Amino acid sequence: MTHPVTIVMIEDDEGHARLIEKNIRRAGINNEIRHFLDGTSALEFLESAHDGPSLNGPALILLDLNLPDMSGTDILSRIKGKEGPLKRTPVVVLTTTDDKVEIQRCYDLGCNVYITKPVNYEAFAQAIRQLGLFLSVIQVPDIDGAA
Amino acid sequence: MTITDRLFNRLVLGAVVIGFLSLLAAGGLIAWSIQRNQDYNLAVDHTYQVRTAVYQYRVLAERAEAARRGYLLKPDDRYRQVFAETADALPRAFDQLVDLTRDNPRQQERLDDLRPLAAMQSALMRQSAGLVQRGRQIAAVGVFRNDNNLETMQSMRTILSQISAEEDQLLKDRTARQERGVAFLKWSLGLTMLLLLAVAGGSVFVIFQYTRDLNRSRRDLFKLNASLESAVEDRTVDLRRANDEIQRFAYIVSHDLRSPLVNIMGFTSELEAATKPLEELVTRIEAETPDLLTDEARDAVRTDLPEAAGFIRASTQKMDRLINAILRLSRDGRRVLAPEPLNMHGLVAGIAASLRHRTDEIGATLTIEPLPDLVSDRVAMEQILSNLIENATKYLKPGRPGEITVRGRMDGIRALYEVQDNGRGIDPKDHDRIFDLFRRSGVQDQPGEGIGLAHVRALAYRLGGVISCESELDQGATFRLSLPAVLLPERAAE
Repeated sequence: MTHPVTIVMIEDDEGHARLIEKNIRRAGINNEIRHFLDGTSALEFLESAHDGPSLNGPALILLDLNLPDMSGTDILSRIKGKEGPLKRTPVVVLTTTDDKVEIQRCYDLGCNVYITKPVNYEAFAQAIRQLGLFLSVIQVPDIDGAA
Repeated sequence: MTITDRLFNRLVLGAVVIGFLSLLAAGGLIAWSIQRNQDYNLAVDHTYQVRTAVYQYRVLAERAEAARRGYLLKPDDRYRQVFAETADALPRAFDQLVDLTRDNPRQQERLDDLRPLAAMQSALMRQSAGLVQRGRQIAAVGVFRNDNNLETMQSMRTILSQISAEEDQLLKDRTARQERGVAFLKWSLGLTMLLLLAVAGGSVFVIFQYTRDLNRSRRDLFKLNASLESAVEDRTVDLRRANDEIQRFAYIVSHDLRSPLVNIMGFTSELEAATKPLEELVTRIEAETPDLLTDEARDAVRTDLPEAAGFIRASTQKMDRLINAILRLSRDGRRVLAPEPLNMHGLVAGIAASLRHRTDEIGATLTIEPLPDLVSDRVAMEQILSNLIENATKYLKPGRPGEITVRGRMDGIRALYEVQDNGRGIDPKDHDRIFDLFRRSGVQDQPGEGIGLAHVRALAYRLGGVISCESELDQGATFRLSLPAVLLPERAAE
């Protein structure tokens, strides 16, 4: 029962990805982080990779809304739209958009947490570290147990 | 109107005028013709009268002669009486004849010829009648035998026949003329009738034509109006779309600009964090083996790196504020306005209360004069007025107690508000500039990005208003805001 939770990070900005990873590590989280730069490859991994969350192992998704090939909300609705293990995978939307409408829409689509990336780096780092703390305590549904 | 149209109109007008003039002429002709016929009738009548008079005279003369002869044959007093009556009537009948033919010199001539004969005959008749009366019948008969009364009578008859013949000829002429006049009148009437028909027909045709044209123009105008309305509608939709596009553009740009900023800030912090171990290393080397340490390395770690990081950080923070300002403007532009009745005094008093802390601190007084209420968007009005009042408190003249006045009045269907201060004022050349985004004026001793007034102007425009500034350096400033007293609700974007 000790499948380590994989963190799937869908983030087109490599700088952001690097900063997020750094701060998560600083928070003491050592889980594997899978980084995808675009929506297509991320969805492929999520839905059909043999080690992806649909078929194997619990996961947690960090999702940016501004992606080059598709909108993050499309990915979110794909993840939350189908019945199955993938739907139960927690999704943390982590993006620069702090538009109220967008936030509401994400929660409506089934996002679990919505975090705005603060431009202020200290605040950003703080937010990510807190996310790390959060990640260390949340329980992720067990794929095997559920199946 | 084209040239041919104008020409056509002139032709039509000309035709109508000519038609009516002809009608008038025809009317005159008929009137004249009737008048002439009347004259002819009178003339014919006159001829008849003359003929009657001639006839009467002739009868009288013959009767007188007959009576005389009867009296000569038989001195009966009844003959004498008839003779006396007819002989008395003769001069009157003659005079009447003269009167009636006064217009005809030929007849007068004949009457002149007749006059001595008549007088002679009359004298003879009276003479023989007198002799008979006195009982001298034989003498009277003798006289009768010897006077040439037969010739005289014959001459008189001839003359009278001539007169009658002349009158008959006149009658024939005059009757012929009368008939010609009547015929002429008939023709004139017929012609006038035709003319009348032509003018009436022409007028009806022209009126019909004009009515049809008028109807067509009205239909065209109606269509044009309808299309104009839809054109305005289209333009409005286009404008709204363009406006939405700009708003979306501002929104997307500001968001996408934020993304790299996160990196710049983040990695600057990482750089600063990385500088710390280096700094410690430099300190240690400085203490332990100063020979290894170059001045450049020390300066780089101690001065250049922190300085660069500091500038990057400050610039990034500024950029973040600017982007946030654009974002806020774009959001305000996208916000749907909700007009509601506003108690302006209450609204300004609320702003004053929120600024009391600051006004007390700098010793400024804020006076609110009576303000007209209006129907508009509360949030927008609050932002506009609080920006203006806050600016007034920010840019006071040091050493002069601040006096800020908010006043207003109605100007037709618009409400006018003024925020006046006695502060340091604004150079007139900057009056337009200060409303531009990120532009400021005067000494830069106050925090701010040059956003407030740009925001105010954008909001004022959205509320259908305008804002202007009146100021001189050191003379204070007055910001004047003119808004529609009633803001109509926006139609939802398509």
